[in-house]
Amino acid sequence: MEINGQLALTVLMGVFLVAVAAWLTRVENWRSYTPLASGGGAYGQESGHAHEKPGGLIRWFTTVDHKDIGMLYGLYGVIAFLVGGAMVMIMRVELADPGMTLISNTFYNSLLTSHGITMLFLFGTPIIAAFSNYFIPLVIGADDMAFPRINAIAFWLLPPAALLIWAGFLIPTGDIIPAQTAWTMYTPLSAGVGNGNQANAGVDLMLLGLHLSGVSATMGSINFIATIFTERAEEVTWANLDIFSWTILTQSGLILFAFPLLGSAMVMLLADRNFGTVFFAGEGGAILWQHLFWFFGHPEVYILVLPPMGIVSYVLPRFSGRRLFGFKFVVYSTLAIGVLSFGVWAHHMFATGIDPRLRASFMAVSMAIAIPSAVKTFNWITTMWNGRIRLTTPMLFCIGFVSNFIIGGVTGVFLASIPIDLVLHDTYYVVGHFHYIVMGAIAFAGFAGLYYWYPIFTGRMYQRKLGKWHFWLWMVGTNITFFAMILLGYGGMPRRYATYLPQFITLHQIATLGALLLLVGGFIWLYNFIISWLEGPVIESGDPWNLKEDGLYTAEWEWFDRKLQTKITDGGEQQDVATDGGHESDESDS
Amino acid sequence: MDENPGLSDQYRMASPWPLFIALGIPIAELGILFDLPALAVGGLLLLCGSIAGMAKEAGYAKTPWRALAVCSVLLFGLGGLLLYADTAVAAEGVRFVARGYAVIAAGGLLLLGSLLGTAFVKESQPI
Repeated sequence: MEINGQLALTVLMGVFLVAVAAWLTRVENWRSYTPLASGGGAYGQESGHAHEKPGGLIRWFTTVDHKDIGMLYGLYGVIAFLVGGAMVMIMRVELADPGMTLISNTFYNSLLTSHGITMLFLFGTPIIAAFSNYFIPLVIGADDMAFPRINAIAFWLLPPAALLIWAGFLIPTGDIIPAQTAWTMYTPLSAGVGNGNQANAGVDLMLLGLHLSGVSATMGSINFIATIFTERAEEVTWANLDIFSWTILTQSGLILFAFPLLGSAMVMLLADRNFGTVFFAGEGGAILWQHLFWFFGHPEVYILVLPPMGIVSYVLPRFSGRRLFGFKFVVYSTLAIGVLSFGVWAHHMFATGIDPRLRASFMAVSMAIAIPSAVKTFNWITTMWNGRIRLTTPMLFCIGFVSNFIIGGVTGVFLASIPIDLVLHDTYYVVGHFHYIVMGAIAFAGFAGLYYWYPIFTGRMYQRKLGKWHFWLWMVGTNITFFAMILLGYGGMPRRYATYLPQFITLHQIATLGALLLLVGGFIWLYNFIISWLEGPVIESGDPWNLKEDGLYTAEWEWFDRKLQTKITDGGEQQDVATDGGHESDESDS
Repeated sequence: MDENPGLSDQYRMASPWPLFIALGIPIAELGILFDLPALAVGGLLLLCGSIAGMAKEAGYAKTPWRALAVCSVLLFGLGGLLLYADTAVAAEGVRFVARGYAVIAAGGLLLLGSLLGTAFVKESQPI
């Protein structure tokens, strides 16, 4: 049986490799063919185009164009968001009732682990990469990313990463079950020792998947640093570099220092699990893991929040009718947050009994982060102050971001204080606090970007009314859900439990109600985006937001305008042109 | 419709290699971690072959053959390390022999490919 399995695997692998080789030979053949010679190339090649881009699905599998890769990242992030959202909806429905009703406690733990990892690594990082891939080269005037192929590799590592992370759910056997370690993967639980069930291969697969997503993020960050340093157009200097590029540059620096550390720590953990090493087994091993994990984990928070802050700093002024207030200080605060983010990790470990003198220093640095964060917040508010505010959907999401960020940020300042943290540690207060940031702020900024640039992505406009429904359902839903969690934390409800004492039932039910509002809003958004992509009004001007009126027009819309112009002048769509002897164009076409 | 106004016409917008590099890494990792030689060898071949192909495509190398040889040397090193680890490891039930030989086998196949390619494949034809 064992031998047969190995044999089957070998044959399968061999067939796969031969198929890949055969396909590559074909693809390489059409690609070495010069399209200038004549039209009508093989393999769906578009004739008459000076640069090669195959047609159909092959285009998407082989593309190294930063815009295509940006779209792929976006699609990937949206799918991951739907999966992570579905996971948490099951959990929230289970929590409507104190006992174990809908799902088993172990399945709850699996969902909890996967929800966190999916949202942070498979939605958060990729959706930011979607915007940065699409727009950084456009706004800094580069032809493409510095390393287009590395860019494609970084993206294509992500689908296997997702499959590995979800493998426990996807492979229905007794040997492989989903990881139940929570996203923090604390040892000794995650090392698989003891009587628990976390020694199973599902956890190994999850760790490998997470490792892959880290490799992908690192490749992407190197690419962005190289692109922003070396590929800027002459007129784009450090002095007039846009705010979004600044945040991506800072984020890439953080990734460069944080993710390789996570990768190494996970290789050590995998070795502990599979090869009998004892990195995290001996005395202090659990604390060692926490230090390594949070040295990555806290910068990760800023890796996720800085670019969305950049999107808000970029979009919010466009609908305020004025430039970003205190641009320089917003850049300085970004850099300050980037530096400080590496000096706060132990505030996740106040309750572990570490040396009180160390603890105090980490408390001081954690509180210091409030200063640059507040600089940003006040700058957004002063940008809007006395401005000509237009409450479009992206602007609503930006304002929602600022509002939720204030609540999420202020609750965080309290947590940074050791005595308060010792009371609130591991309660729902923490969950409420960081969801105000990741959902209320990061996701809101992501959706602000998706709405703002929707015309560029699709060439069409979304339905405005549905966009506003989406925003208000989410704004209300977010605040109901996560404020209830903050109150639950004050009441002493511990986090990560599938069941709870009956005294918490009301607040839990309120939180579930809020989550249902988020679900409805999410469906409206999905419907709106799909239907508008298919049938929305076609954008004809390169300035759908009337930015020129206020002198706030930017490079990516100029590019979009040029694209629309060339579309008209070279008659890309042939049926519009009545050629001699050809069909007359319909009136509806013209 | 010009999707890329201003972009150099010489610039290649498609490459088949990144997808397979990205597939090769996890397949090889799974194979080495779970001691499945078929996956380890196949994944490493896919990864190294695609790296060599991409090096040629990007113009860093004239032919992929020398890149394959370099990859095989690296794999011999890694395989050797695994074999050494097998002698040094004290933990019960943990063996690295099969993993080591799988990596070395992948290196051997790559070296063979490199030699055959150098000997029998003609210089790339002008288009």
